[in-house]
Amino acid sequence: MKKMLEISLGVVTSVGGFLEVGSLATAAQAGALFQFQLIWAILLGTICIIFLVEMAGRFAAVSKHTIADGIRERFGFNAFLWPLVSTFLVNFLVLSAEIGGVCIAAELATGIGFQLWALPVAFVAWLLLWKGTFGLIEKGVSLLGLVTLCFVAAAVILKPDWTRVAVSSVPSLPHHDTATYWFMAVSILGASISPYLFMFYSAGAIEDKWDKTYLGTNRAIAGLGMSFGGTISVGVLIVAALVLGANGITQVDDYHQLPLMLTPVFGFWGFVLFVASLGIACFGATAEIALQQAYLVAQGFGWNWGEDRKPREDPGFTMVYSVTILAAAIPIALGLDPLKLTIFSMALTAASLPLTVVPFLFLLNDKSYMGQHRNGVISNAAVLFVVALGFILAVVTIPLQILGGS
Amino acid sequence: MHLIRDVLDKQIVDGNQVKIGKVDGMVAQLRQGKPPRVIAVEIGSIALARRLGLLPGRWMAILAAKLGGKRHAKPHRVAWSKARDIGLHIEFDIDVRKTAIFDWQVWLRDHIIGKIPGA
Repeated sequence: MKKMLEISLGVVTSVGGFLEVGSLATAAQAGALFQFQLIWAILLGTICIIFLVEMAGRFAAVSKHTIADGIRERFGFNAFLWPLVSTFLVNFLVLSAEIGGVCIAAELATGIGFQLWALPVAFVAWLLLWKGTFGLIEKGVSLLGLVTLCFVAAAVILKPDWTRVAVSSVPSLPHHDTATYWFMAVSILGASISPYLFMFYSAGAIEDKWDKTYLGTNRAIAGLGMSFGGTISVGVLIVAALVLGANGITQVDDYHQLPLMLTPVFGFWGFVLFVASLGIACFGATAEIALQQAYLVAQGFGWNWGEDRKPREDPGFTMVYSVTILAAAIPIALGLDPLKLTIFSMALTAASLPLTVVPFLFLLNDKSYMGQHRNGVISNAAVLFVVALGFILAVVTIPLQILGGS
Repeated sequence: MHLIRDVLDKQIVDGNQVKIGKVDGMVAQLRQGKPPRVIAVEIGSIALARRLGLLPGRWMAILAAKLGGKRHAKPHRVAWSKARDIGLHIEFDIDVRKTAIFDWQVWLRDHIIGKIPGA
């Protein structure tokens, strides 16, 4: 009974915490320009994140190490610097984008320009980390995030042609805007496979003192939570295709276009739901990413860490999230376009994934860490395939996108 | 036991289970006519920077001495003889509060974090 409760809570928090500015913006852009055609990218990304989250939980439960701990211990400091620096930088950009997402929601709600919201938003998120506990951040914020399910509801109400939806789950070649198509595929992969998501999950498993009895719970949470989460992204894409694309809005390059997505379905409440979804989802991600930055540094250098402890007990840990969150708000406060930053940082995430995922896979196959709970062939192959695909696409399309001037 | 595999880069805790850092470096003593012997582990930014190369090590030592005074001009060392348990972490029978290892954390607490309400 207790396990069932834990599983449901875990699934609910994964679902509520899945959508963030990256998956929302990339799915909306893809739907508007290519209709359902890029659904396969969401599916592929979701399958990969299911495997990675399951591995992160299994690794924590069996070896009692977080991912950062494990990589440093197994490969040494000099090798660890690569994933450390790349993840730290990419997380920083994504954090900035998430703060931007909350600011856009605030602008849509109040009419006051998004730049002015950056510092207040950063302050409130910081206050949550300063005062809150891990449970409050993980569960509380994610529960509110369930509002994002409105995209799934909207997608169903719009009665899409489900055969076409199903057909789009198989990759196909684009008929127009070829470079943009592949760039969007990369951004979607990057948005679905966020390193912060599975690294945060592994830190959470350690904070919650998981052991081998949690392996089943872990599998259920990873599988169900991430699949339902991916469904929300597909929902966003379908709604964008049927509302934006069908009304001639194919280029979503201004975030003011986005709230229109839900109004044909829910009327004025559609606007409210959109603003709430964007604001809550991005705020939750802001808190989690800032916390993940502090986990990463503290675990990498061996300091005390833990969100349930008082700030004065872990000054170094506290300092990292405080400085990161403030610094990440600055580009938004200076007026950097959150939508552009989001898309760019998602593609960059896909490019940086091998640096974290490859050493992580080595750990998952290492008998001294995993014993009999090592990875099987399928999970190794699936993750390697998707990550390699994302990397190659990113390396090819990011320069094209920059040269193309958009 | 393999020093590189089982000791280097492992988490260190003190006698009170406080995480005080990782094994950032190891020191062995060369002895006439006998095999070398591990005498200490090193913790901290200088030891880490030295692993990247001579120059980073030198720069980090100068920086650390500037910020923390003479006490911080060399890497922190913990005697290998104080090692008690090597499992998930390596436990050393010391009290981190009596060392200089956490001077920077104490400074942060006293000058910044501790001054913010609610700390």
